[in-house]
Amino acid sequence: MFKKLWDVFIAFVRASNLGFGGGPAVVPLIKAEAVDRYHWMDEQEFADALAISNALPGPIATKMASHIGYKQAGWPGVVVALIGTVVPTLIIVILLSNIIMKYSDSPELKAMLKAVRPVVVVLIAQTAFEMGRKSFSALSSWGIAAVTAALIYFTSIHPVFFIASAMLFGWIVYGRRKKTEIVDKNL
Amino acid sequence: MFIQLWDLLIAFARASNFGFGGGPAVIPLIKIEAVERYQWMTDAQFADALAVVNVLPGPIATKLAGYIGYQIAGWSGSLSALIGTILPTVIAVIFLTAFLIKYSDSPILKGMLKGVRPVIVILIAQTAFDMGKDSFPNLTTWGIALVALVTLNWFKLHPALLIVISMAFGFLVFR
Repeated sequence: MFKKLWDVFIAFVRASNLGFGGGPAVVPLIKAEAVDRYHWMDEQEFADALAISNALPGPIATKMASHIGYKQAGWPGVVVALIGTVVPTLIIVILLSNIIMKYSDSPELKAMLKAVRPVVVVLIAQTAFEMGRKSFSALSSWGIAAVTAALIYFTSIHPVFFIASAMLFGWIVYGRRKKTEIVDKNL
Repeated sequence: MFIQLWDLLIAFARASNFGFGGGPAVIPLIKIEAVERYQWMTDAQFADALAVVNVLPGPIATKLAGYIGYQIAGWSGSLSALIGTILPTVIAVIFLTAFLIKYSDSPILKGMLKGVRPVIVILIAQTAFDMGKDSFPNLTTWGIALVALVTLNWFKLHPALLIVISMAFGFLVFR
């Protein structure tokens, strides 16, 4: 049990404290820990975790931490995952804010952030690609993706609407069939 | 003192729980509470706070909450603002997670999740696209992206390592 809690804690410390660019930049790192390193969940379950997190308001990273922490170790898991996500950088912000403010305009810091940004973009794109490879199990999945992409591009409808209507669509179209028919074949 | 802690709790609970779309959606709402409603700080002070938290890794909203809370009422203020930011959604997430575990065999739930997964993939891809818009100012940044892609897929380099290496590279080359 202690080993599990420690793993959850360390996984979120690592994920959160190397994600430059806020919550979204942390998502690929959480995936690297939860899916690739510790095998707590597969790509599809990770997508489900993101679906839950995106359906609710507030910061993404803490919602992902709560979901994964709870699945692994109940409420204690939630607490350690949240502490790992929030506390280390917060302490740095509070204790070193004066120093950071002085250097937040420095060319060195800007140079480092400039070089890390393309990497973050690649990591996030890679996450989308890997999840897509595993979760586009039917032709209709591609249809849903295409419609969503088109609506995001051409309109300014709020993402929560896409999540709600895709769930409704899934309920009506996939949900009524017999269980054996909707078992995903992972491709 | 108590009233201040209560104000912090409520301000951040309100800001965080009406912002859909993660941290970035929450920032303008925090500004409304901290600068306009409670006048804890000026516009310029808020901009400074934002600059500080943007430099550091991790989720933006919780860093901002902890920092502003600390400025107003010390460590207890920091805790108060943090609880307001994360507690309501954490409880909601756990409620949904428990529901998901309990009904994981239900064909309806499976169908709903199958329907929503492609949307999540597109939303994540969209995030990458949006961030990408101003992340590639020159050819070197494209080179960094290419190297990242190759090392990630063929050499299975851990993303964290990639981040550290790219920052060191930036420090040496872009300065």
